[in-house]
Amino acid sequence: MKSIVKYSGIARQSLLNAIQYPANIISRLLMYSLFISVFFCLWGAIYQGGEVHGYSLVQMIWYLCFTELIVFCCRTTVYTQMNDDVKSGAIAYLLVRPCHYIIFQFFQSLGELCVNLVAFGSYAIVLALTYVGVLEGFSFYNMPYILISFILGITLNFFMLISLGLTAFIWEENTGFYFVYQKLIFMLGMFIPLEFLPVWLQSIARMLPFSYVAWAPARLAVAYSSEFRDQVLPLQFLWVFASVWLAVFCYSRAVLHIQGQGG
Amino acid sequence: MSTIRKYTGLLSCYFKVNLAAALEYRTSFLVQAFGMTISNASFVFFWWVAFVQIGGRIGGYDFRDVLFIWSVSSSAFGLATIIFGNLNRITAIIVTGELDTYLLQPKDVLLSLLAARTSLTAWGDLFYGVILLVLSQGRDPHAWLMYLLGVITGSLLFTAIAVSAHSCTFFFGDTTMFSSLALEFVINFCIYPIGIYPLLVRFIMYSLIPAAFIVHLPLAIARSLNYGLVLLVLAGTLGYCLFAYWFFYKGLKRYESGNLIITRM
Repeated sequence: MKSIVKYSGIARQSLLNAIQYPANIISRLLMYSLFISVFFCLWGAIYQGGEVHGYSLVQMIWYLCFTELIVFCCRTTVYTQMNDDVKSGAIAYLLVRPCHYIIFQFFQSLGELCVNLVAFGSYAIVLALTYVGVLEGFSFYNMPYILISFILGITLNFFMLISLGLTAFIWEENTGFYFVYQKLIFMLGMFIPLEFLPVWLQSIARMLPFSYVAWAPARLAVAYSSEFRDQVLPLQFLWVFASVWLAVFCYSRAVLHIQGQGG
Repeated sequence: MSTIRKYTGLLSCYFKVNLAAALEYRTSFLVQAFGMTISNASFVFFWWVAFVQIGGRIGGYDFRDVLFIWSVSSSAFGLATIIFGNLNRITAIIVTGELDTYLLQPKDVLLSLLAARTSLTAWGDLFYGVILLVLSQGRDPHAWLMYLLGVITGSLLFTAIAVSAHSCTFFFGDTTMFSSLALEFVINFCIYPIGIYPLLVRFIMYSLIPAAFIVHLPLAIARSLNYGLVLLVLAGTLGYCLFAYWFFYKGLKRYESGNLIITRM
């Protein structure tokens, strides 16, 4: 009970911080609008009518609105924050606090994630409706599954970033890992659906966690089918568990590398 | 003439000092530059999928054209932030009062301010552009010539746009977000075929946000061999740079010192 109160306090504080800076949210909304507008122009030029790999233009724009929402809008500063903590030595203060470092980071980001999901989620819907109108075949009955898939995608991304941030304990310069991870997410589902990739790459991508961050939830939202749902949701759960385990494992190894020097 | 020589000497001095500082942390420098190259390469993958899977031309450009605009944008932005590494920090320098330090220096304030820092990842951007050009254009002399033109004028234009946007801080207060948005707009307009945009946006790309001068005009020259357009690129670049310079100094008159004491080492 004590833990719940403690961690919910951290989440509440993070939520208040996220709301405190509306200018930050507005600038990211503008950036998001820019990306979507450019993609709208680009895919409008590519689509001369009809469908490409099972996606109509309407589905494609909705797809991009959702993938950008998950990866760009619902990202947190957890990676840079952890990097800074390690490099500046602030980690020493965080580790002596009466809470688990990983759980602390999760709840610290939870408030920001919730604000982003609500603000950018509503804006994504407005933007997609303005550009291409209603998504055909969409049913509100499927919303709970789609929402679960979105939350799993965001959580997976979050814990992968935590694991990457923890590498700063071992290798001080770890930006390269982050760049590679970010691009894998971009290539395997964020910019283009997996169905557009060559067949050999599709089969590899389906075995890796990266496409379950953006492709799986966005595909479920724009082309819902119970078969696809039953196929991806268990895999998303599996990858989330694996990423949480990886983060905890990395942490248990990483703390062994800390060297405190008074001060 | 002696003024140009003097400022070229100053810039090369800043460049040497910045490079020496970067090489002091060699691993960090290499990791960041290599990471940026990998990062940029993923966008080529996107375009490869778009062209191979969908086929044809997109917005009037083929795959080679897209690689050309990518190589020029990447190298131009890289060169701008290698030489003028502070271009993204002007607002922060004004707001925190760090500008005082540059006001006391005997050389041009704007130039000293811009050149006082370098970016490590920018080397990755610069080399990525060269690699991409070698792979996509081979020995095409027109493409290489226009690449050089685009990189030089483009780096000046990226800097001029950043200076103009950040100088708004003198008039309206902290404009960090506006400035980063302005640069983001230019970059986005540079890396996609101009033909995908509606007419109004294309007009903006030839005026307010001069992305067309950075990549699309050099590409048009390389393909049509209409070298008369080079004059247009040079005139556009000169005009925009002069405006940025004038606007910065217009704003600087409104600057009030905060008496901040800092040490530059």
